[in-house]
Amino acid sequence: MIKQSIKSAPVINTPSAGDTSFPDSASLSNGVPVYLIGNGTVDLLRVEFVFNAGQRTEKVPLAATATNAMLSEGTLMHDAVSLNELIDSTGAIINHIADKDSASLVAVTLSRQLEEVMALASEVLFQSSFPEREFRIMQEKRLQAFLTSRQKTSVRAREEFYRALCGDTTSYGRVAKADDYKSLTVEEVRKFHSDHYTPGNMYITVAGHNPEQALPVLERYFAPSEAIPWQDPMIPEMTFTTARPGSIFCEVKDSVQSTVRLGWKGITRDHPDYQGLQVAAMILGGYFGSRLMRNIREEKGYTYGIHAVAGAFRNIGYITIMTDTANIYREATVGEIRKEIKRLREEEVGAGEMAIVRNHIMGEIARMFDGPFATAESIRGIIDYDTDHDYYTHLAETVNSITPGKIKELFITYFNPEDAFEIIAGAP
Amino acid sequence: MISFEKHRLDNGLTIIAHYDEATPMVTSNILYKAGSRDEDPEVTGLAHLFEHLMFEGTHEVANFDSLVTMAGGENNAFTNNDLTDYYITLPANNLETALWLESDRMTGLDLSDNRIMTQKSVVTEEFRQRYLNQPYGDLLLLLRPLAYKVHPYRWSAIGMDISHIEKADSISTREFYERFYNPSNAILSVAGSVRPDDVFGMAEKWFADKEGRKTGIRALQAEPVQNGRRELIVRRRVPAAHLVMAYHTGERSGRDFYILDLVTDILSGCESGRFPSLLVREKELFSEADIYLSGELDPGLVIFSGRIRNGVDINRAEEAVASELGRLADEPVSDAELEKARNRYESLRLMSYMSAANKAFGLAFHELLGDADGINSETEKYMSVTAGEISECSSRTFDRGNCSVIYYLPEDQ
Repeated sequence: MIKQSIKSAPVINTPSAGDTSFPDSASLSNGVPVYLIGNGTVDLLRVEFVFNAGQRTEKVPLAATATNAMLSEGTLMHDAVSLNELIDSTGAIINHIADKDSASLVAVTLSRQLEEVMALASEVLFQSSFPEREFRIMQEKRLQAFLTSRQKTSVRAREEFYRALCGDTTSYGRVAKADDYKSLTVEEVRKFHSDHYTPGNMYITVAGHNPEQALPVLERYFAPSEAIPWQDPMIPEMTFTTARPGSIFCEVKDSVQSTVRLGWKGITRDHPDYQGLQVAAMILGGYFGSRLMRNIREEKGYTYGIHAVAGAFRNIGYITIMTDTANIYREATVGEIRKEIKRLREEEVGAGEMAIVRNHIMGEIARMFDGPFATAESIRGIIDYDTDHDYYTHLAETVNSITPGKIKELFITYFNPEDAFEIIAGAP
Repeated sequence: MISFEKHRLDNGLTIIAHYDEATPMVTSNILYKAGSRDEDPEVTGLAHLFEHLMFEGTHEVANFDSLVTMAGGENNAFTNNDLTDYYITLPANNLETALWLESDRMTGLDLSDNRIMTQKSVVTEEFRQRYLNQPYGDLLLLLRPLAYKVHPYRWSAIGMDISHIEKADSISTREFYERFYNPSNAILSVAGSVRPDDVFGMAEKWFADKEGRKTGIRALQAEPVQNGRRELIVRRRVPAAHLVMAYHTGERSGRDFYILDLVTDILSGCESGRFPSLLVREKELFSEADIYLSGELDPGLVIFSGRIRNGVDINRAEEAVASELGRLADEPVSDAELEKARNRYESLRLMSYMSAANKAFGLAFHELLGDADGINSETEKYMSVTAGEISECSSRTFDRGNCSVIYYLPEDQ
């Protein structure tokens, strides 16, 4: 047996959020803003084009996501097969996705291929032709995926929450139906595209090694003289009809687990409590050592994971707790979630737990700004939601200064048990 | 080129250090040569259950995770058929805390019955959440016992059956711990803004006094050559049929791995690949069609997986896949296709290794394969693959008698 030497545990250095400064920006001659995120050490550039073309701007169900999905299915110059052949032969990786508030296309390329890749990106974004046949194939594929998702308890519970929160009449709350996939026409998609995919309706981020090198290339492909100049994005007016709080059950036949979701209407990013609420949600269910994880996973073993989030779309905020658990545990799980919330509304969080949560959030912010690609993703929230450029610097300040008394107050204000939606999706 | 320094302690612990000044963080990655292949066929899922227990506290440190969090770190782990891997990413000036915690749980776990019971329940819920409560979630659980009859790759890391997790007890977990968790059975790899000499100094301080042990030989009974096509038909509550076709191939470090990795990229690595172009767009047989290597250390599988379009006969879809695979043997792939696959390899490699965490795992994994420098020499292996090798390897691999097929059908079909 080797003798154990006596060593004391290393001293832990208090983590800091690091450099969270907002990047420099420039603009193309037509006014399109370009954010430049440097310090890359690898010869790659990540260029993202973000459009105000999310689901909030659609008048016909599915138009926003279908348009985005169809971007690389053919252009005025190339059919789908030859277009994809051209893209893939550059070695670039191109992805596009639309969500509730925006739609984007990301290209990651070797610097030496930048010119070629930007020419293709411009073609894909502005000269998409939406061929009938590709549209039909895409919609059938999307319908199949939609029908598959009807068996997923987590998807069904999420949909029910947003429906209750925002109402059926808004694009945030509307739940798609199989018929929507059949009734959407290619003309509606073309219309959505010509209305929303214009240089005047986008901004660009460039991240990597020497991002300034992209500016003349972007000028050539994204500042056509005939285009309407850039303008501030138009945010559609939305009227939300939030449902009365209470229980919602969504039947998913034969499921061996249920998804449990508790949710509240929250606040938007401009609210003075928004950052404090981030800290509160973290304590409740934002990390491995959170109250909910410790109780419901680590003590009871009811679930593989449980999470709490306070977030916001452009015009409405939400707070939600979600977990998947065996059907037999679901009532007990709801009971334990409510118990943990009650405790936080009655007792202040101790100093040790506050320190852990502070350090955790600092580490998280530092990782969000670790390298140019991560930074590019992190600043999107600031631009898309028009929050102040020092959002993360202020978040770090809030995290350091918030008191246990204030946390308790936030739980009392925003986690009222009587205001909760309690959603269960699973077998009867 | 990913530069690194390597050092071995007397107790057998291998330490690899890669300096990357581009990040303010550092990743500590510790890989144990213990996976589901090392389990008793009667108590499968034990390696993965054990991974959970590694977060449950030691005699010295009651709460592992809260200390990582205090240090601003994030951590996780995964288990596969061959290995269990634990990683912590945290600010560089807290690396020593990570190494201390890893050294502490390498030998000091507090394996109380209560902890084991709770994690068995958590893992049971994980089994349900990831495999049983997902449409098509059990496909790979079904494939393994069809393709393998002898080798322990016949079960997945989560376990052969949900009931096996119930059988694990404090005796079997303690035995597993004693056998596999010691310095000579581990590779520690650190990447980030800490100098290699400092890494070695800290690792020496926290690991050198641990006793190295012989783990025993890991040689397992080889899977006999498959003689004849195997077929399994299952019916589930799903909206569309799904087809899986799996072929046996060679081990991870063999030449065939690199050849077939490029082949699978040519077939389905990108939108202009043969499968998306021909099977999805032109013939409209599948809504998605993907082929990939399972990538285990011992001889693995090359797996086709495709969701069938509604109204398409699954036999016809299978024939179309088989005929495309057959074409690889008959006609050499074009220079353009090969060039495209090589270019994509180059970009994807650059992208992946922008992350220090990925470099840390990559170095540890290549050391497991025999030499950490494989992370660099691998590029040459990909670049030197020829069209002739692709034909030859494809004709050996994509043989009907070497294939295991699953028809995963909707209940009413």
